[in-house]
Amino acid sequence: MTSGLRKAHTYIWLLLIIVVPVIMMLSIKDLNLFASENNTTSQLSGSKKTSLKSFENDILKMAVYDNHIEIILKSTLKNSSSVVYEMDEKGNKSAVIGQLTTAGIYNFNSNNLPKGIIIYDDIKQVEITKFPL
Amino acid sequence: MGLDYQLVLWNKHKKTYDKIIAASMLLYIILFTVITLIFNSETSIETLVIRAFGSLAIIMLHVILVIGPLARLNTNFLPILYNRRHLGVSMFIAALIHGSFSMFQFHALGDVNPIYSLFTSNMDYGSLTNFPFQVLGFLALLILFVMASTSHDFFLGNLSARVWKRLHMMVYFAYALIFAHVFLGAFQQETSPFTIGIMMIGFVIVASLHLFTAFKERNIDTTKTVEIEGWLEVCHSSEIEENRAKIFTVDNERVAIFKYDGKLSAIHNVCKHQGGPLGEGKIIDGCITCPWHGYQYVPSNGKSPPPFTEKVATYELKLEGDIVYINPKAFDEGTEVKPCKL
Repeated sequence: MTSGLRKAHTYIWLLLIIVVPVIMMLSIKDLNLFASENNTTSQLSGSKKTSLKSFENDILKMAVYDNHIEIILKSTLKNSSSVVYEMDEKGNKSAVIGQLTTAGIYNFNSNNLPKGIIIYDDIKQVEITKFPL
Repeated sequence: MGLDYQLVLWNKHKKTYDKIIAASMLLYIILFTVITLIFNSETSIETLVIRAFGSLAIIMLHVILVIGPLARLNTNFLPILYNRRHLGVSMFIAALIHGSFSMFQFHALGDVNPIYSLFTSNMDYGSLTNFPFQVLGFLALLILFVMASTSHDFFLGNLSARVWKRLHMMVYFAYALIFAHVFLGAFQQETSPFTIGIMMIGFVIVASLHLFTAFKERNIDTTKTVEIEGWLEVCHSSEIEENRAKIFTVDNERVAIFKYDGKLSAIHNVCKHQGGPLGEGKIIDGCITCPWHGYQYVPSNGKSPPPFTEKVATYELKLEGDIVYINPKAFDEGTEVKPCKL
């Protein structure tokens, strides 16, 4: 390499050792790297709100309040798609409530108390879990 | 070194290296698939392909980026450097498969152009957790495409080594884009200390090797030589091995002084092909042979033997006793200079 190219390489790498770690740190600073799967405490615990109905299985915990539904996903689902549906009277999925992605706490607005909840993989067309209320 | 352009200038060694590259890529994809199916059997085939080829491309890019500094530190890595372009094109193919499947899975099934969808489906540029990371990957893929498609010697010859080299130094920009693509994308969805740690270790290894080599080279450039009446005292002739060279810095440029057949000759150290260090090569069949890709130059005039047309600058030497002196003023490229007899 010519001396100019050698200098250019040096400056590029000096810049990269500043820029890349900054990108890395900024992007992971808000991630809960080690405790995401254990975060199953409701955000409403300790508040005066009381759940009308609640449900728990291996995948999630759910509580229904006056005007919203709280779902605590215990661990990230392996499905590519995890859509939350309301269950109708016949036990079939009806209106879409929302979508789950990684483990964590999800709050969805709901004016009417649904008959139940179905978590459905819309890509593979399979039911992940469901529970009547 | 070939006079005519061929799609691929095969030889026995290149075929061996390419077989190793293909077998390694295949083995990785098979291993990735088996491990995924064992631990995550719900994964769709599209997701499996996206993840397998994306991770493969990143691993290959890291390997490609360490070859240069490793070859500077240890000549045993030079054969890998010789075949680096094929590794680069293979890496681009892996990245292209990753990108194509991602475009199909996430953007091709709607009612708008997939490219338009890529740039407009998520405009949340102010968010770190929901950043439109796919755009970063797409830009990196474009750079890799330009590099892969201009990797052939035809483009090197027609763009000039200077332009070609600068074009291919964009790989560092692509590397930063790929890091941002992975950290703002995959790692936001699948938070794993293991994969994040692997990427960090990879960056530390690549950056450390490049900086260590850069500072080592800088020491060579800043070595002081004694000047006597316009001549620089460089070394004792006994310090240069037969058919080999010693490299010195003269007016910020490196010069290689070769010893051969009881003579000494000095030429500019930078090969006209891809900037390889001629002084780290040796004399083969009477010609200085670049250690990177085998380009050859006649020691006394710096010209490639006919019909080739490459030429480098030459320098005048003189010998007083055993001490070698060099005139720091370079002659025009290809100028015949009488070798200094030992």
